[in-house]
Amino acid sequence: MRCQKILAITFLLMAVFGPVGGTQEVLDGWRLAQPDYVLEFPRDHAAHSDYRIEWWYYTGNVETVEGRRFGYQLTFFRVGINPSPINPSQWTVRDLHMAHFAITDVERGTHRVSERLNRSGVGWAGASTDTLQVWNEEWRASMTGTTHRLQAIDTTEHGELSLDLRLDSGDAVPVRHGVKGFSQKGRQIGNASHYYSFTRLETVGQLVVDGESFDVSGFSWMDHEFGSSFLEESQIGWDWFSIQLDDGTDVMVYTIRSIDGEPGRLSSGTVVTTESVTVLDSSDYQLTPVRRWTSPRTGAAYPVVWKLELPNEGLSLDVAAVVEAQELVTAESTGVTYWEGTVDVSGTRNGEDIAGRGYLEMTGYAGPPMSTVLR
Amino acid sequence: MRLFIWFILQNVQQQRLRSVATVASLSVGVAVVVAIQLANMSSVRGFSAVLDAVAGRTSLEITAPGVGVPEERLAVLGWLREFGFVSPVVDADVLLVPTVDGDRDRFETVRLLGIDILRDLPFRDYPLVDGARARRITTQEFLGILTDTDAVVLTQAFSDKYSLEVGDTVTMVVGDRTTTLRLAAVLGNDGPAQVLGGNFALMDIAAAQWALDRFGFVDRLDIRVHEDLDVAEVEQDISAQLPPGLDVGRPGRRGAEVERMLRAFHFNLTALSFVALLVGLFLVYNTVSVSVITRQNEIGMLRTMGVSQGTILGLFLGEAGAMAVLGTLLGVPLGWLLAEGAVGLTSSTVSQFWVASAAQVPPLTWDVVWLAFGIAVPLALAAALLPAYEAARVAPMAAVRVDAAVQARDRFQRRYLYVPAGLFAAAWWMAQQDAIDGLPVFGLMSALAIVFGAAFLIPALLYGFRVASSGLMVRWFRVEGHLAHVNLASAISRLSVSVAALAVSLAMMVAIAVMVGSFRETVVYWVGQTLQADLFISTARNAPVGDRGSIGPDTEALIASHSSVLAVDAFTGVDVRYGETPIVVGAGRFQVMVDHGALVYKAPADGPRAMAGAIGTDAVVVSEAFSLKHGVSVDDVISLPTPQGETRFRVAAIYFDYSNDRGIVVMDTATFAQHFSSPRPSGLTVYLDPDADPNHIRDELQVALGPDRRLFISTNATLRGEVLRIFDATFAITYALEAIAIAVSMFGIAATLLTLVLERRREIAMLRLVGVERYQLRRMIVIEAGVLGVVTQVVGLVVGLALSLLLIYVINVQSFGWTIQFHAPLPFLAQSTLAILVATTIAGLYPARLAGRFDLSDVTGRQE
Repeated sequence: MRCQKILAITFLLMAVFGPVGGTQEVLDGWRLAQPDYVLEFPRDHAAHSDYRIEWWYYTGNVETVEGRRFGYQLTFFRVGINPSPINPSQWTVRDLHMAHFAITDVERGTHRVSERLNRSGVGWAGASTDTLQVWNEEWRASMTGTTHRLQAIDTTEHGELSLDLRLDSGDAVPVRHGVKGFSQKGRQIGNASHYYSFTRLETVGQLVVDGESFDVSGFSWMDHEFGSSFLEESQIGWDWFSIQLDDGTDVMVYTIRSIDGEPGRLSSGTVVTTESVTVLDSSDYQLTPVRRWTSPRTGAAYPVVWKLELPNEGLSLDVAAVVEAQELVTAESTGVTYWEGTVDVSGTRNGEDIAGRGYLEMTGYAGPPMSTVLR
Repeated sequence: MRLFIWFILQNVQQQRLRSVATVASLSVGVAVVVAIQLANMSSVRGFSAVLDAVAGRTSLEITAPGVGVPEERLAVLGWLREFGFVSPVVDADVLLVPTVDGDRDRFETVRLLGIDILRDLPFRDYPLVDGARARRITTQEFLGILTDTDAVVLTQAFSDKYSLEVGDTVTMVVGDRTTTLRLAAVLGNDGPAQVLGGNFALMDIAAAQWALDRFGFVDRLDIRVHEDLDVAEVEQDISAQLPPGLDVGRPGRRGAEVERMLRAFHFNLTALSFVALLVGLFLVYNTVSVSVITRQNEIGMLRTMGVSQGTILGLFLGEAGAMAVLGTLLGVPLGWLLAEGAVGLTSSTVSQFWVASAAQVPPLTWDVVWLAFGIAVPLALAAALLPAYEAARVAPMAAVRVDAAVQARDRFQRRYLYVPAGLFAAAWWMAQQDAIDGLPVFGLMSALAIVFGAAFLIPALLYGFRVASSGLMVRWFRVEGHLAHVNLASAISRLSVSVAALAVSLAMMVAIAVMVGSFRETVVYWVGQTLQADLFISTARNAPVGDRGSIGPDTEALIASHSSVLAVDAFTGVDVRYGETPIVVGAGRFQVMVDHGALVYKAPADGPRAMAGAIGTDAVVVSEAFSLKHGVSVDDVISLPTPQGETRFRVAAIYFDYSNDRGIVVMDTATFAQHFSSPRPSGLTVYLDPDADPNHIRDELQVALGPDRRLFISTNATLRGEVLRIFDATFAITYALEAIAIAVSMFGIAATLLTLVLERRREIAMLRLVGVERYQLRRMIVIEAGVLGVVTQVVGLVVGLALSLLLIYVINVQSFGWTIQFHAPLPFLAQSTLAILVATTIAGLYPARLAGRFDLSDVTGRQE
């Protein structure tokens, strides 16, 4: 594909001439993330069609009144293919829209997955540039006021899989990661994204798993990230944690793994309390895989138990998958194989016991390196 | 069984020649029936195979009448997802020139499918190959291959044929536009790639819209219903929810529609193919009759020996059955060989008028074999039933009589007149009946009644001839004439069937010749009246049926701007379902048609005025075929499906049209635009200044249009020639079938004469003994043959004319909805009469030579 070739050449030039600095603002017609971009809301909840890559990522831990626990994930991706196509047909592919939807039924230990891949076409998938309104066929995430509405439905071999949830941010403001929402991912300036989250959304609604319906409530986490070039060739994947602790503290940390297996300098995180937002760099925390689970399907060995140390916060946490098998093989949409699932968190804060729940995402353990997917 | 072997097989062996002739003619008859069945199957199957391959795993499809499903209506059909996968499809037949700068006339018709690969994979398989190896790629990679606007994926068969490699360019011709495309990947021979011998092209739906210049529409929305749902229920559910103007149905219905469309054509071909079989059956009757007549003594002997009547009946039926089985065994493979020719002849016609079909002989299935046996054996048994029944009635006493029965049977009987009279009366009644479900069933039964009536009339005619001609025969041919007359007169019952067989096939030939001749004259007249324009501009000379290739407005403006051009009419047509049958809804400029008198009206009397009155209203003019098939008259209101739902139109006039039996509804361009969409003309007719030279203007326009606009400009004269060429090609198969029937019956008459000669060897040798010269014997036999020829020809002509009236005024009208003016092609009839007389006389030559060779040993009765 022509596009890929050009990209490969671009990478080569970058390797030869080193970091290009802050001067380059456009790559193949797509705008690159820049440190001076100021996130503004509600404007930046909507889609940024001049950037190549964008996603809205919802994960959450919910349970029924009887305490039956579920984890869910609903993600909408937009990947630009050709920023200014010449063919006036409605079907012309400017962007591809993908979506992943998964529900973990903790009691049964099942992890049901569904995915969607579409061009915009006649409006069968899309993302509004005015408000948070992103959809892929009948899956949809939208926001009115402080409420996000998530809807997804599919018929799987196990029966209906669907969710209809309302997520309320209350008076919380979006948490900007990195430097005022500019999150550097690679050594080159452009290899970055604009990244913010709602780290604790009060969630109520309904899940249908294997045809069985449940009224649930709990907490969700929303990430919205956009840019045009995220990773560099040497970066094969990442491990990403979102943690909601019982004392109201929310923690996000991620580490980007290089081809040599070493965590990159550019790994970072954010600690959010009701009073403050603290940005972490890679020296502020330590992540250690404790135990791995090998996927029978792909052979990938995912660390499903981690030790997370945040000395400045006085936090020493054990993060463990609630269900080991929470792998997504998305051959029909993004083509990425990854692990994303609900986790239990336990440990101490300054010697005091503390617990929480969260979501863990691990990419680059199977299939092509993430850098070829997110370039 | 032993009795059968002894009595029948021995006889078959003794009467070798007649048996061989009968089996041979039966096998030819069976072969023709099989060949036509295969040819008919081929045209429907060709279409269905393409349909199946293209439909893949589609269970339902959503379509809109006319130009396709408007995209804005798709946006609100998201709810379809609950029933299954949904995939929008652009589907067209296009012309592909395998090279960019090479020979522009070397193009192929290719089925182009424009799809969204992200949605289409559940429906169809597109296995990419790299040389001999399969190429495994992800959906996204496939999308990457397709998304370039000039990317096309062709089949391995096609790329091998033209030595194309990935990266090479090809030219696609759509309407007057040419688009250069790049071969982006090669498809292995699976899924839709199998259609039309690999003439398949895959493009991204966006690129296909671009290449076809069809933005804003898709041809249909394919749905693959979830496996746990019932398709029929889902079809009902969807149908209930669809907005008006959209229609849900199974993909197979298009095959059923094509089958329906071709039904009348196939029905008539099948009927025609049975003529050859009919002739064969006459010969079965003949053979068994002769065998019964000549063996009265033996039958009587058997009866005295206590053999029951049932056994005798069984013996002769067994003889017929054995011949039928043998004839079918030989006929089926022969039919398969003939099918090649039949498919060639019919597929061009089918492609010309109905659907693109590949001329491919379908495999010979057991169905066809059983069909052949199922038809030939029972019919042969039926043909043998009458003579076998007579054999069973032979009294034991017959054993002692000498040839008395033969003589007794050769008396004139009243039933020789009653039976034909009854049949003719039945024929008359059936000719008045209406078609059954669009098929001329009564018409063909009436034809059959005429044929049998004529056949049963033959003995009476021969008796009449015997009475009337004895004097003449002697006067004209002297001794030989007298001998011939006596011989013929004494063998009437034996000759009748052979004469009937030949007369029937001649009659059919005459009928078809008269019908085709009349049709041709009618078309010539119609073409003269209708083709008033000076130049005809079309997008492709061999454009596929249903080709929506269109002529752009700039092209039309360029043509209209020529100083010698007085007026331009633009015609376009879309396929629309009217009730159960597909029709064409066309658009033309009524004012131009009125001004230049481009139509011949059937009703009302002042057609142009009615047509002028239709302008600006929801009124249409319809073809005669439409009016007859759907029982529509002037001022009736018909309801047509449009993208907005059912819409009512008044019928302003009915015009004659022989270009299509499907039925055409034409509305003014403005009316069409209002209900369907702005028409993109598929053809232009150009009226020139009377002083201008059409050839000269054509050349000028051709230059002005330049090489990139691929248009064909015909002058009035060349188009007329083309119309008649197509007409003649269409009826080639008709003549071929008739020629076979004639040949079979000629064979039959020769075989009959030969047996007569052999049976009379003693008698003939006796004549030699009493001093008749060899040459006189030969003359005698040839005269006999000639006389038979004359009688046959007279009967054939009279019956043929009767049948032709039936064909023209009943069968054609009911099958195709065409009015044909009667016109007898006299030169052809004169020629064929002469040819038949010469041929029958020649058919007598071999028996004549044989008769000359008999000598005294034959008198003594010693067997050779």
